[in-house]
Amino acid sequence: MFTEARRYFVERRVTDRIAETGATSFMNYFARLRSDLDGEVEKFINAFTVNETYFYREDYQLTCLTSDLLNERTRMKRPGEALRIWSIPCSTGEEPYSIAIWLLENWPQVDAHDVEIIGSDIDTNVLKEARTGIFGKRALMRLTPKLIDKYFVGAEPGRWQILDDLRQSVRFTAVNIVERSETRPLGAFDVIFCRNMLIYFDDSSRRVAAENLYENLSPGGYLCLGHTESMSRISPLFEVCRFPDAIVYRRPLEISHG
Amino acid sequence: MPLIKNTFHRPASSSPDPAAALTSVSPDERWAAARAAGDDPVNLAALAQVLARESDTRVREAIFTALARIATPESALAVLPYLRSDDANIRTGALDALRAMPEAVKAHLSQALADADADVRLLACDLIRNIRDEDAPRWLCEFLEIEHVANVCAAAVDVLAEIGDVQALPTLWRCAARFPNDPFLAFAIKVAADRLRANAPGSRV
Repeated sequence: MFTEARRYFVERRVTDRIAETGATSFMNYFARLRSDLDGEVEKFINAFTVNETYFYREDYQLTCLTSDLLNERTRMKRPGEALRIWSIPCSTGEEPYSIAIWLLENWPQVDAHDVEIIGSDIDTNVLKEARTGIFGKRALMRLTPKLIDKYFVGAEPGRWQILDDLRQSVRFTAVNIVERSETRPLGAFDVIFCRNMLIYFDDSSRRVAAENLYENLSPGGYLCLGHTESMSRISPLFEVCRFPDAIVYRRPLEISHG
Repeated sequence: MPLIKNTFHRPASSSPDPAAALTSVSPDERWAAARAAGDDPVNLAALAQVLARESDTRVREAIFTALARIATPESALAVLPYLRSDDANIRTGALDALRAMPEAVKAHLSQALADADADVRLLACDLIRNIRDEDAPRWLCEFLEIEHVANVCAAAVDVLAEIGDVQALPTLWRCAARFPNDPFLAFAIKVAADRLRANAPGSRV
């Protein structure tokens, strides 16, 4: 999964887990990990995830979502059919909640459609935090005071909790993007946000993840990656779509042959 | 609030015998079968067989991925012939699949570097870029001493600049001397040499 360039990162995390568990050596820790003593496998996975994010990050893609992507998708929907949006990895929930707030604020058609938003991450600790929905000042730094007043309530000094209604509108679920058995049950989405994750994968895992993302998109559905990422360097399965606010990728409507 | 709670859609499970479904008339079934086939090396022969006649771009991509996931010298061998395809999409697909299984490719590198087709030799140089082996710069140096096509040498020089060190400099100079009338190769070698010197321990560049 990790490339050679991530060796230091991996060593550091393993060393942290050895210290945390009180293991006397790597072999001692490895035995603990293999037997999943005290749920060590999950703790090990959680130690390897990168969870730094904030609300309205890379908001040009959110602009693109409400200016172009959703309008394109709604044209292809049957009456009453819900729009489905997936945020993976969702970390502590900033991205899926950002999507929800952005839609409510910036998409005039939001009242005319049902929208399902699902946030997924491999790290079960961050999912617990996402469900709780309490955020500090740094996570909210790009939101105006007006938006914070409208969608959050004060939880404790310097921390705010997202409104119950909004928390109920996002479903959080643990998913490993390279495990097809975990991604397939989520079904097909209209838009997937998968930002700044594939850059951490090796070539083989990236290919598998790209194919899983393809399967989780409806034909014509859109994939938004981080601004430094390019799906065309990972997989030829997607079309590049240049919109005024962002470049995104699309699962083709028609299957190309030859 | 118009946003709604999620209800999961559970699709039917995939075919229990991916090897058989690889020859289905339905591209969707072949795609699903190819993806499932990568879970088990026992499907290697079936994947290799259908790769030769698969015409659907998407399914072919899934077959390449499945072979890359199996990642054995045998699965690399099944992909290697497609490096000489006349179809640029197939050639690129094969190259990307081989990049995704660097350890499996290692066993076939010497053969690919000695291939009669200059394009295959050029692509083989590129494959070395992903191989983490302390001997990789030496393979490229040995190759550069005998390669007779300037364009292929340029590809090897490009990779060597990335993974090599100053020990490769004499090889680079000899290569430049063998192609005195090729200004691009001379330029590529100068750039590579500058980079190797700059990366040398103690360099002030």
